Amino acid sequence: MSVSRWLRPLGPLRAVRAVAVAASLALVAAPAASAAEPPADPAAARTEVTVPPVDLDGPAITTVTVRVKNAGPQRMRSLKVTFAGPVGWAVQPSVTAVSGSLGVGDSARAEFRIRVPEKRPGFALRTFTATATYSGGDGAGAATGTRTEVVGSPLPDLAAAYDNVGVTDESDTAPGDYDGDGNSFSAQKLAAVGLTPGTTVRALGAELAWPDAEPGTPGNVSSAGQAITLNGQGSRLVFLGSGVGSAATGTATVHYTDGTSSRGQFGFPNWSFDPADLHGATLVASADGRNRPDGYGNAGIAYRIFAHSVPLDASKQVAFVVLPSNGNVHVFAMAVAP
Amino acid sequence: MPELPAVSRRLLLGGALATGAAAAGVGAAQAAPAAGAAAAGGGDAPLPVHTPPRRRGQRSMIDVPFDVHGTVRVGMIGLGNRGSGMAEGWAAVPGCRVTAVCDIRADRATSVANRLVALGKPRPAEYGGSADAYAQMLKRDDIDLVYIATPWEFHHRQGKAALEAGKHAIVELPIATELDELWDLVDTSERTRRHLMLSENCSYGRNELAMLKMAHDGLFGDVTNGHGGYLHDLRELLFSDTYYTDSWRRLWHTRSTASFYPMHGLAPIAAAMDINRGDRMTVLRATATEPKGLADYRERFIDRSHPSWKETYVNGDLVTCLIDTAMGRVIRAEHDVSSPRPYSRINSLAGSRGIFEDYAGTSATGGRIYVEPDHSGHSWRDFDSYRKEFDHWLWKKIGDDAENNGGHGGMDYILQWRTVQAMRAGLVPDIDVYDSAAWCAPVPLSVKSLAAGGRPVAYPDFTRGSWVNLRMGLDSRESDMPPVA
Repeated sequence: MSVSRWLRPLGPLRAVRAVAVAASLALVAAPAASAAEPPADPAAARTEVTVPPVDLDGPAITTVTVRVKNAGPQRMRSLKVTFAGPVGWAVQPSVTAVSGSLGVGDSARAEFRIRVPEKRPGFALRTFTATATYSGGDGAGAATGTRTEVVGSPLPDLAAAYDNVGVTDESDTAPGDYDGDGNSFSAQKLAAVGLTPGTTVRALGAELAWPDAEPGTPGNVSSAGQAITLNGQGSRLVFLGSGVGSAATGTATVHYTDGTSSRGQFGFPNWSFDPADLHGATLVASADGRNRPDGYGNAGIAYRIFAHSVPLDASKQVAFVVLPSNGNVHVFAMAVAP
Repeated sequence: MPELPAVSRRLLLGGALATGAAAAGVGAAQAAPAAGAAAAGGGDAPLPVHTPPRRRGQRSMIDVPFDVHGTVRVGMIGLGNRGSGMAEGWAAVPGCRVTAVCDIRADRATSVANRLVALGKPRPAEYGGSADAYAQMLKRDDIDLVYIATPWEFHHRQGKAALEAGKHAIVELPIATELDELWDLVDTSERTRRHLMLSENCSYGRNELAMLKMAHDGLFGDVTNGHGGYLHDLRELLFSDTYYTDSWRRLWHTRSTASFYPMHGLAPIAAAMDINRGDRMTVLRATATEPKGLADYRERFIDRSHPSWKETYVNGDLVTCLIDTAMGRVIRAEHDVSSPRPYSRINSLAGSRGIFEDYAGTSATGGRIYVEPDHSGHSWRDFDSYRKEFDHWLWKKIGDDAENNGGHGGMDYILQWRTVQAMRAGLVPDIDVYDSAAWCAPVPLSVKSLAAGGRPVAYPDFTRGSWVNLRMGLDSRESDMPPVA
């Protein structure tokens, strides 16, 4: 193993016309803690990019030191590191370049500064990503490290996130606004196809509970990145819902109890006009007509509920789910399928 | 400042005819010099500006905290509408005392002193009666902060004099109107180690601060553009014989073609873009409409015997500055005080995830918003819940006091309270001389651009390179006002 080395401080960064900043952006080799470790298997070794915990006690300018370890069989050259936080969070510098090279097993540290906003109440995931590009090392040319900081607690269940009145009684349609234009499902017509409050719906291998919400009250979620507690283990996460507008698609992120996460894309057809299999969805129920602000109408037109799913890591326990960031995706229920 | 020869718009924009003239008259017409280069050729190249070197003994004032002041003793220069209106606010801030007041009209000093005494405050010393009365006041050793609210043309010299007298200075808009004056204030602040800040109350507006915090949170995604301005129908006041002493503000419209006063709208946008704190303004180009509003108003409402009938108004009614930033953003800063229209500072900020617009919609806050993923469907939402969620700690802490103690909806008092707090607690000021100079630079830069037919003008970097560094500013951490002994 090579001994540790100290790389000389970086000069002003190419991406930024830096003048006074260089002193705060020194990039130095980490002490050779790795010297005591057993040699890595060159065939399996990959460049390690490590993002440390980020202090989120804002508003503040916080320093983040990214560590890049050359775990490959070759000397690493032309190393550049970029760092990014959540969108809109300013980072300085945008890229830092290491002059010189890193021996096998050596690490380098790159310091970045990031503007951290004031903490807000509620739940948030803050993801930080560092990317290293290089020649030599493991030969891959690039490596990425991420860290997701969890702020606050997820909502206890989907019902806690209900923010939309999607079902109304035909005798009182005014509270409904499923689609932004004051229209809603008819409770009577949903009941006619088996969807009554609290009933169990079987779809895509999962058993889902239709919202136990009175007509005219919030009973579904317009997806906006809400985090929902969900316990279970299985192969798929199934969602029950439908779309409004067009392009009711998005990414659901599933977080497991071990701190890891997986992502899956899904989408729903528009509740009325799209093909029923759009985005790969499965039709679950069709209600005849809908409730409009002035009463029941549009008889003969189907207003529909679909199922769709995203894959799970079946070896892990689900802790919580982050819904897509797309308000057109309306979710009535979700459950784990074995 | 070195002045480039005026280049006609036709010469810049014309075709074959102009090319010869450019080659002969200006030189290097075919070459396209890089931004900031000395040559004045090439229609796209910004007119350069000179960055004077830092002189010996001068050091940056960035992130320099105030010394701790047990009590902040304020001396006031200029006691017209604005100045006298701020007196009670200064006196109301805990740990702040107005120790001296000055106006060329001595009776105004007496009047303000009487008002303060009537409020149970100590009587301030009075200065007045001559143009240099302020210089006499500055000799006092019981003044820590000088507040200047005189006509624009006096701001530079009085601000500089305050710094040279060892005081900190807070100067009404603009701190100066010429580039060399702005640099002089930067240099004087660095040399004297005293802060000079623009008295930009709108930087502390409740909507503006919430907009700033939302930008920092990432609600707008990557911020790409912002718009601000000062759109205020001042025609009645401009023609008043009493409101602006000696009609000083109207007379500016007879002698200059410029964006006189865009700072109220520009400063909050600049803050939300972290100008001088990670970004900087690099190029400005200005347009101006014809000057119609004042003459038309005079024609309809002003008696022929009024002295204004001897005047000719030259400044365009709507002067628009488009400003590029180093991070690729664009700011539109507008100025119009001579057209009939309801008031607006625009306050609009937009990025890859959404947009905020002030002075629009039906919300009680005056703002409307549309940000993904919260919103979809192409329809605006009220700003109310967002302003509540992103309310700045200053408003949560002293908003009620502010609305009871000061003008402009409380912004004035927030500005005063926070300035005094920074001095008493030994904090870094939210607004420094670099911010102040950058926000006021559109005044002289628009002159240059308009004189050159709207050509881009390079924007001076008053930080001399330190703008790249992220640092704190108006989006500050909550802290208390030190207790009053």
